[in-house]
Amino acid sequence: MIDGTTLMGVAAPVGEGSPWSAYQAAARDLDALAADTVPGHLRARIAILGSFTLEPFLPVLRVEGARAGLWIDGYVGAYGQYLSELLDPSSALYQFKPDVTFLAIDSDVLWNQRWAAPSPLGSEPVVGGLFGPLFSGLETFERAGTGLVVVNDFPLPRRSTEGVNAFRNKGTFAHTVAHANKHLRLRLAARQHSFLFPLADVVSQMGRVRAYNWPSHYRGHVTWSDALMSAVARRYTGFALAALGKATKCIVLDLDNTLWGGILGEDGAEGIAIGPQWPGQQFLDFQRELLDLQRQGLLLAVSSKNNEHEVLAVLRDHPHMVIREEHLAAMRVNWDDKATGIRSIAHELNIGLDHMLLIDDSPHERAWVREQIPQMLVPELPADAALYADWIGSLPSLLVLGQTAEDARRTEQYHESRSREAYRASVGTTEDFFRGLKLRVVIEQVTDKTMGRVVQLLAKTNQFNLTTRRHDEAAIRRRVASGEWRVYTMQVTDRFGDFGLTGVAIAEPAPGVWHIDSLLMSCRVIGKSVESALIARIAADARATGAHVLSAEFIDSGRNQAAASFLSTHGFDKTSSGGFVRSLEAPGPTWPDWIESGAEIPETRIAVGHR
Amino acid sequence: MPPQQAIELRVRELLSQVTGEPIEVIGPGFSQATAASWTSLIHLMLVSQIEREFATTLTNDEIRDLTSFERIVDRLARPG
Repeated sequence: MIDGTTLMGVAAPVGEGSPWSAYQAAARDLDALAADTVPGHLRARIAILGSFTLEPFLPVLRVEGARAGLWIDGYVGAYGQYLSELLDPSSALYQFKPDVTFLAIDSDVLWNQRWAAPSPLGSEPVVGGLFGPLFSGLETFERAGTGLVVVNDFPLPRRSTEGVNAFRNKGTFAHTVAHANKHLRLRLAARQHSFLFPLADVVSQMGRVRAYNWPSHYRGHVTWSDALMSAVARRYTGFALAALGKATKCIVLDLDNTLWGGILGEDGAEGIAIGPQWPGQQFLDFQRELLDLQRQGLLLAVSSKNNEHEVLAVLRDHPHMVIREEHLAAMRVNWDDKATGIRSIAHELNIGLDHMLLIDDSPHERAWVREQIPQMLVPELPADAALYADWIGSLPSLLVLGQTAEDARRTEQYHESRSREAYRASVGTTEDFFRGLKLRVVIEQVTDKTMGRVVQLLAKTNQFNLTTRRHDEAAIRRRVASGEWRVYTMQVTDRFGDFGLTGVAIAEPAPGVWHIDSLLMSCRVIGKSVESALIARIAADARATGAHVLSAEFIDSGRNQAAASFLSTHGFDKTSSGGFVRSLEAPGPTWPDWIESGAEIPETRIAVGHR
Repeated sequence: MPPQQAIELRVRELLSQVTGEPIEVIGPGFSQATAASWTSLIHLMLVSQIEREFATTLTNDEIRDLTSFERIVDRLARPG
């Protein structure tokens, strides 16, 4: 079976700035692998539609995907046919069923619309002429529940001949591009599953001269240069990782010469560089960027060879530190080797090592961790700390698509978890522990308010997940509205804090038999017996409709062993076909008597329907 | 390595990378007419890669004309 490390190995020889021919050759090396042995959780279905020739971009995207451990099944729309493909539900695009669809629309579309008449048109008719049909196509496409859609903004592709008074004149092309970008941002912001791709930012980062291949553009509409294809593919990969729930969840930070300048053990708290003047400012800005990521829901942790009391003094008392103790979900400050510390953090936070990323200025530590933990992301840092704050924004796996209330509270929840574990160590039996936790569970049916979190959990949860089916929002809304599905949400609190919405189950009620399509829990509530409450609630609802059997499946994904025994421990029997059934004529499954049941908001299900 | 041989070697590698044909089959006689993988789009990308790799600019006539291993090598071995 092909794993992520194999895919990364194929991409490794193709470095940043490699010519397209090197990508093309590496993509053929990918073709030589046995694609059917790539496990489902490493596969992303990516569609690319656009206004110019995009076939050459596909090998670049596949190789950049492989660099991130992904196998990309790609679909490239026909040249310039993006509107007709979006508007036609019978098109090959719809049949492909992409996880993410990228719309690569060149500024040339605006340029050509502007020159559609003998005299150049103003921005209103140009932008209206593009966005009217484009958003109509996007609405049709999104209604079919076809994953995420990512549309790029418009860079100014060439130097302008519009003169020094262009900024006063609304009839200029520069104004048209600015107008288009403003409207694109506003209209995409109103759509939950559409995202803006900052192409203008990518082009500006590398410079227009490097970004565009004008000879190739005029010869055959291959507009993007090798360098731009490579940079865009890296960022597209970030969207694919996030859509598949494979983005980084935790950044592990070194301290000396990474989070601050200098060595704390030698320079002391007063001697380290962090503050509003050079050289401290470069670390200050880096910390601010990290804190922005933490506020989006990424966890920050520290693994450092230092004396813990000295580090805590800096985190608590240094006047210019931005990252403080409360921003860190875990800390390993000791003299153990770094890989051991990182494994210990992963264990404490219950996060897979493939969801962790190390930022460490030491090449030796990076090499050691890469060797010891090959599945962890260990990027190369810039040699100059002045580049750290800019560099952190270039890492594709740090892309956060959705922000839920749970994301914003994530670090706080890990602090609560530490208190909980300390309490666990102080009590006798497991049941005493559960009783002492004062668990409270609220099980409701999905609402508009909780839909985002439900979709997120379905996309991301790997460990306690019976089937790992990744249903999208449109499918959920359609099936809930039609009565095919009941989608349950479970919120859990205990005496130490609020776990938030951490469980989802999808039941298919049919006369006599209810089938459980999906049942999953966030790793944060595994081992707290709350899954018994969830199945007890489903069984009670099934009985109330006269059902006499619950059926379910366990589909082994290779990563969901935490859920492997759930069905058998709740009275389900395996059938000859590999499924599981449980008679509802026998008592149970029972709601654990140490879990308090919270009140349900009545008939919330009716709030969910087609959008 | 003499310049002509170095050019031949790199053109072989480039044609193999771009068309996907094994490097052993690329040499005199290998052309757009004989290799189905040398499509018009691949030709366009090949031209772009040659320009990048050999820091040269090809004219429209040359682009139309560079349809075999020998013609590419001849053009690159020529100054200008």
